[in-house]
Amino acid sequence: MKKVTVLLSVLLIVAVGATISAGQREEVDDAVAEQRLEESLEVDTSVLQAADGQPLLRVAEETPDIPPRPDDPSALPQTDPLHWYDMEFSGWEVEKTNIPESPMDGAIGKRVVMIVHGDHPWTTACTTGAQKVADAYDMDFQVLSPNWDLAVQNQMIDQTINERPDMILLIPLDASVAVRQARSINQAGIPLILFNTLPTAEAMRFAITWTGPDDFGQMRELSKHFADELRSRNPDADELGVVYVQHEPGGSPYFARSWGPISTLSEYAPEIKTLDMQAPGFEADRTQQLVSDWLTRFGDDLKGIFAADDGPQTLGIVEALQRAGREDVVVVAAGNSKVGMDLIKEGTLFAITYQTAEGDGALAVQTAADWFNGLEIPNRRDLPQHIITEEDVDNFYPPQW
Amino acid sequence: MNQNSTVDSRAVQTNIFTSFMGIVGIYAIAALFILLGAVLQMTGVINNFLTSRNFINIIDSVALLGIVASGMAFVTYSGHYADLSAPTTMAFSGIVAVEMLRFGFFPALLGAFAVGIIIGSINGFVIGKFKANPIIWTLAMSYVTMGVIRFIWVNRQIYPGIITDDVRAIMLFDNIYRFRLFGVISMPLILMIILVIIGQFLLTKTPFGIKLKITGSAKRTAKFTGINVSLVIGTAFLLSALAATVAGLAVTSLSRVGAWYIGEGYDFRAVTAIVIGGMTLAGGRGSIVGVMGGTLVIGIMNNIMTLLGIGTFSQDIIRGMIFIMVVGINAKTLRSMGRDDA
Amino acid sequence: MTMRRIEIDKNRLLSWGDRYRIYLLFAVIFLIMAIFAPRFLTIFNLTTILRTTALHGTIAIGFTIVMICGQLDLSIGRIATFSAVLAMLLQPQLGFWLSVPLAVAAGAGIGLINGLLVAKAKIHSFIVTIGTMTILQGLVFTISGGNTVSLASQEAFAASDFLSNPVIPLLPVRVVIFILLVLGFDFLLKKSRPGRNFYLTGGNRTTAWLAGIKTDRVLIGAFVISGTMAAAGGVLFAMETMAATLYLGENSLMYVVSATIIGGTIMSGGKGGVLKTAVAVLTLEMLYTGVVLFGLGNEVKIFISGLVLAVVVLYEAYAMYKHEKIIGQRPELIRELERKKEKG
Repeated sequence: MKKVTVLLSVLLIVAVGATISAGQREEVDDAVAEQRLEESLEVDTSVLQAADGQPLLRVAEETPDIPPRPDDPSALPQTDPLHWYDMEFSGWEVEKTNIPESPMDGAIGKRVVMIVHGDHPWTTACTTGAQKVADAYDMDFQVLSPNWDLAVQNQMIDQTINERPDMILLIPLDASVAVRQARSINQAGIPLILFNTLPTAEAMRFAITWTGPDDFGQMRELSKHFADELRSRNPDADELGVVYVQHEPGGSPYFARSWGPISTLSEYAPEIKTLDMQAPGFEADRTQQLVSDWLTRFGDDLKGIFAADDGPQTLGIVEALQRAGREDVVVVAAGNSKVGMDLIKEGTLFAITYQTAEGDGALAVQTAADWFNGLEIPNRRDLPQHIITEEDVDNFYPPQW
Repeated sequence: MNQNSTVDSRAVQTNIFTSFMGIVGIYAIAALFILLGAVLQMTGVINNFLTSRNFINIIDSVALLGIVASGMAFVTYSGHYADLSAPTTMAFSGIVAVEMLRFGFFPALLGAFAVGIIIGSINGFVIGKFKANPIIWTLAMSYVTMGVIRFIWVNRQIYPGIITDDVRAIMLFDNIYRFRLFGVISMPLILMIILVIIGQFLLTKTPFGIKLKITGSAKRTAKFTGINVSLVIGTAFLLSALAATVAGLAVTSLSRVGAWYIGEGYDFRAVTAIVIGGMTLAGGRGSIVGVMGGTLVIGIMNNIMTLLGIGTFSQDIIRGMIFIMVVGINAKTLRSMGRDDA
Repeated sequence: MTMRRIEIDKNRLLSWGDRYRIYLLFAVIFLIMAIFAPRFLTIFNLTTILRTTALHGTIAIGFTIVMICGQLDLSIGRIATFSAVLAMLLQPQLGFWLSVPLAVAAGAGIGLINGLLVAKAKIHSFIVTIGTMTILQGLVFTISGGNTVSLASQEAFAASDFLSNPVIPLLPVRVVIFILLVLGFDFLLKKSRPGRNFYLTGGNRTTAWLAGIKTDRVLIGAFVISGTMAAAGGVLFAMETMAATLYLGENSLMYVVSATIIGGTIMSGGKGGVLKTAVAVLTLEMLYTGVVLFGLGNEVKIFISGLVLAVVVLYEAYAMYKHEKIIGQRPELIRELERKKEKG
């Protein structure tokens, strides 16, 4: 009897104490939240720099002019820019579903999990940039990499949902699978920001926003520089033959970096003719053989080469051109790695796109912080676009990756 | 052709075709492809096939593959199928070379070859002495090596230009791939020809080569003849790793970066070249010159397909089919001549 | 007298350990993970492990049978991808009840081609399956048009939910299917005549042929099963997310080969089992999950997968090495001689 009484009284005391302290914590919590919010708003991440000396956090200044959506983009010919509408403009105009509301207590100390797509030196740079911003806000920041395996990425998403972090940042490995991934995160009530790889518009409904490079936009811009240089090197030609070295299939860059420029050029420079496009992978020797064979096949008709990668692919291209003595061919590529920038300095590569890897990761984390701070987030935040040529390539050293 | 060696009691049938194939081997198929190309050119379907520039391009494009294949051929010849650790050996030796450029060009070369010797010796020892399954072991080695590379260099890639300021060393390294003799003959091609000559010599004119042949054809018998089978097999793997090192240096030089993904895909491509070139997986048959022929056939095939405008994906399909066909023809020819195959 | 009995018991214990070593390994890894890895023993985590095991494990069933016959099938990953893509592509027109069986039948067909080339044309399986692998890569890219094939219809969501719903906690329908397949094939292999034919053909093909077994048919059958299982694994996996990516099966090959070897099936054929392979897949999956749970990077995962494989291969090779050394020796005689030497 005595034991039971003691036990019951202990329990009673504990229960009372817990209630009191819980009540107290509530008040303390509100005050703490406001204070944390103030602290968080004071953090100035604009001074952070990326490894190349450029400011780490930059957002594109202007949103692109978005044309009205045609009824059935896939019915249009591939050379019509609007055929690629869904891939390119995904996310700008989308109805959000069930997006959680910001707790408005600042970003300090928040648990943020970033799930990338796979291992690559680019990704290492991306997470470095993300870590810089995360450190500024003292976040509990973790990066998971499924190494290009979709099954593993799904697993990581499930495991992360189970942990209930404060925010998930995700690079979807695949644009359509992203719908399910985003949906499950959304249904679990966890805030989600998608970045780097554009998913379908359907997936965007479930995320707060998307940040990253506007691949199509960059490629269209690059193609105009490409056309201008082609015209200036071949003033009298009424037909200019170009070839496209494509990205690996299975993602939007495969289309963005070939059909993007093709569809732009069909209006901007109709005298440019597409002779061929192939996807040799990211190996220098295979690209070299491909370009050599192209030179054999097309001879002087070949005036320009548009590459999806400014590293191994472009090296192979340059090798082949040098061996054939065809330095007159204009080469442009999607960048920007050290190898590409070196080639621009050499003069063998004409122009590349600027795509900050560190900035990509950093912008995602910063957007998360902005959301925690209660700021209003637009549907999509693009990284700034820029075309690097011989004139300004020195501004981008040392390279990020 | 001499028919006094029959392996089993199946009837031996020779005709002009099989005799021809027996002597000339893979080069017959290479000639066939060239003929095909010529016909296509004469009928106007493709152009510029029969030019010296085009042939130089073809040989250039398969030189790297030829280097790897001529080393791995020793492994296949010894009856051990393939060395699947070749790609990671390439990556490892390449990245070590770039890292050691800070000490100069020759230390970098030394570092790369040290890596190759170590990996080759480990492979050779485990497979030679303990008779571990070569495919599984070299596969395991490639994973371990990959993990090590990525761990040491923390998932980054390194550039010669950043590692060192020694402009001469960087230029020398860059020229491993880009140097051209008389402005025409590329370094990888020179390396491949040297390796093929050395390899063929090793295989046919040295005691090692003869021991390797016996080991490849009949391992048990070899042991009883007093041959140190473990040493012979171990040397074969060492040679494969050394060839992979040379190729790794060339590819790293071309890519101007030391990275873990260098050399991906070379394992299966090399096996393809070796087998097309007439070496059977059972061992003891074929030659390094044949392997070079195999790489040539692959190069000609790719060249004709691109000139025809066949897309990359369709090229894969055709490549796979031709591969099976050529090997099938090889096997059938050997069998009808009464020699064993597989 | 007593000493000898202990010796015999020790030998028996060792051989028991050797035969069931995969189960021992499984138990050890499970214990380590359960004790040390954070959040390992949650229903969620265990279900995830089982689901991934179901993918690679289904493919591994077929591969094990091929290896028991002493052959290799390197095309399994690409067959999985191809069938998955095919199933997703055909679904809108034909519905699941037609597209899935068709896709699996396609896998069986590819297996048939593999088997015919190996058995009838007598080309080595290593070569044949490398060739098939290459062809399938081109085919996958061609039929898919270069993009992932995915479905978003109501029907699709319903089917995928059905497959993912747990029958009992820890076991979604997909996993149950997998377990049934494993048990079925294991029983088939060990207890039925066709099953035992696989072992015999693998052990020594000529002897089996002389004994009257139609070895050609056995081989072809093995490859057909392998193709079917690879297709089934790929399709089931794609059905979970209703999307077939173009690289779906890329990682499967190495996973499956490792698991089969670690599970005790050897390359020269004649030994091994489907259940052991399945347990090996499970063990590997636990190991990899553990690496992630510990917060370690992918390079550690790659390193460990290589290390585990290396250790197993070394162990097997060393055991065989020792075994070959004593072939022809008579241990009791040697012991007697040594004892005599000690005495006198």
